[in-house]
Amino acid sequence: MSLQETSLPAPGRDLRLPFGLALAALAASAPLLLGSYALHAVIISLIFLLPAHGLNLLVGYTGLLSLAQAAFFGVGAYVSALMAVHWGTPFYLNLPAAGLVAGALALPLAIPALRLRATSFVMCTLGFVIIGQAIAKNWISVTRGDMGLSAIPKPHFAIGPASFTVNGTTEFYYLALAVAALATAIVWMIVTSPAGRNMVAIRENETLAESVGIPTWHYKLLVFMVSAAFAGVGGSVYAHYLTVVSPLTFQMSYSTLMLIIVLGGGPGTISGVILGSLLFVGLSEALRIAPELRMIAYGFCLLALVFWFPKGFTPLIERFWTAIGGRS
Amino acid sequence: MTGLPILDIAGLSKSYGAVKAVNGVDLQVHRGEICGLIGPNGSGKSTFFDCSSGLTRPNSGTVKLDGQEITGWSLNRIAREGRMLRSFQKTVTFGALNVEENLVIAGQMFTFPSIAATFGIGARSRARIDGLRERARELIRISGLWEVRNQPAGNLSGGQQKLIQFASMLMPEPKLILLDEPMAGINPKLIERVVDSVRYANDQLGVSFLIIEHNIDVIISLCRRVVVLDQGRKLAEGTPSEIVDNQAVREAYLGG
Repeated sequence: MSLQETSLPAPGRDLRLPFGLALAALAASAPLLLGSYALHAVIISLIFLLPAHGLNLLVGYTGLLSLAQAAFFGVGAYVSALMAVHWGTPFYLNLPAAGLVAGALALPLAIPALRLRATSFVMCTLGFVIIGQAIAKNWISVTRGDMGLSAIPKPHFAIGPASFTVNGTTEFYYLALAVAALATAIVWMIVTSPAGRNMVAIRENETLAESVGIPTWHYKLLVFMVSAAFAGVGGSVYAHYLTVVSPLTFQMSYSTLMLIIVLGGGPGTISGVILGSLLFVGLSEALRIAPELRMIAYGFCLLALVFWFPKGFTPLIERFWTAIGGRS
Repeated sequence: MTGLPILDIAGLSKSYGAVKAVNGVDLQVHRGEICGLIGPNGSGKSTFFDCSSGLTRPNSGTVKLDGQEITGWSLNRIAREGRMLRSFQKTVTFGALNVEENLVIAGQMFTFPSIAATFGIGARSRARIDGLRERARELIRISGLWEVRNQPAGNLSGGQQKLIQFASMLMPEPKLILLDEPMAGINPKLIERVVDSVRYANDQLGVSFLIIEHNIDVIISLCRRVVVLDQGRKLAEGTPSEIVDNQAVREAYLGG
């Protein structure tokens, strides 16, 4: 019996379940392992993972480079903040509403933008962020301008007589983790479905995709909307975590950060983007110890990345997976 | 050649600025036929294809597929609803995806009729995907691509990519296929395989063909009827031997 076992070349084992359980255990015990500042950095990473997931659908799977994510992130944050402050609606209502409004708003923006060719499209999406910030600054009767909206309540859940407020960092960590896990599951479902395969076909060759019957125009519109909805949900979590929103939520640097997460992590892969959001947001937070040098150091890290890992972290993850004996 | 033609094009015209690329061309493809379309470079063959297949909009004229007018339909709608597929002169595949995925994608839109259905979860949609994979594997075997089925299509030779493209077009059980220079840039051995594939699809699957091709031997061996374009107009139409003997056709090719 043992002879037969040893004579076979070791086949790749299906390590998804044990590895997944190990990751889940690690994620569950993070508050015990990390200090409160590090935990805060992880929460911000999990929040930025949401728009990054959406952007990955657009850039990594469908092949459309967009800088508009921060605009929809800001829209989601403001929708949540306004609803919570003016109507007192709970978090679990504000979150889907932020996603829906951001997704719906993406449609009229996408229709003209997607008619443009690659570089013009990127410029146009950049414009959305600038317009968003201008509106947040100047529509003072609604947004209170530069003062922003404050005293956004922390998420509060009430089921019958039982109620629970997500107050501390640890509690918020679990909430952000749950939202991020749900979003990851949705992305996984999309990209492994026939629709996901059609998106990759559009990325690879749009005309050929069209010639095998894929309505590429409708697909691009839908993916842009879904991508915006993810950003809106991220903005909602962000607003409820920080409890303030300001025009700075519409920040160009947020769009670039989201793009760095996707391109640096590994476009067209889910694990790469998760790792990317932890590393790049974490790095940015960690570098706060040297505020004067922070952006310079960040820039050097990015340069090192593009020279050593031009395809993002995906090849690294794959090598790790093979090293521990996993099946591809 | 009885009954309604599968493809009936009347008075098709397309201009680019002052250049009349296609100028009032009529053309029919009959059910079950392999029809050839030849002409010197710049005679408007490719523009004619682009206008018929929905890639570009013609300035005037009508395109009828199986009796239904499809003028102005988009490329994806003509493929999906009309089951008329086309190849491209430049060999194209979904390069980063393997051969099997290429074929599965080519069949998806016909198995999942709506965008909503493409998200369908559950046993039924999984069964549909399994069915697609089965059909893809069968076509891969017939096309002689079995050994390379798990390789990215972009890594394969130009000839192999042509075979992938051809096999992809057979995924949705098409009525009519437009081939744009299927033999361009491939070696003689593969030419035979592509010719065999066209014959197989025509005989066994009942697919009609309209083929643009410069290799006159291929046209003679495959087609019973050939249409000649020159300077955007139809110059001649007839059996391959009539065309080869036609004085005007010889002048168009030689006199340029």
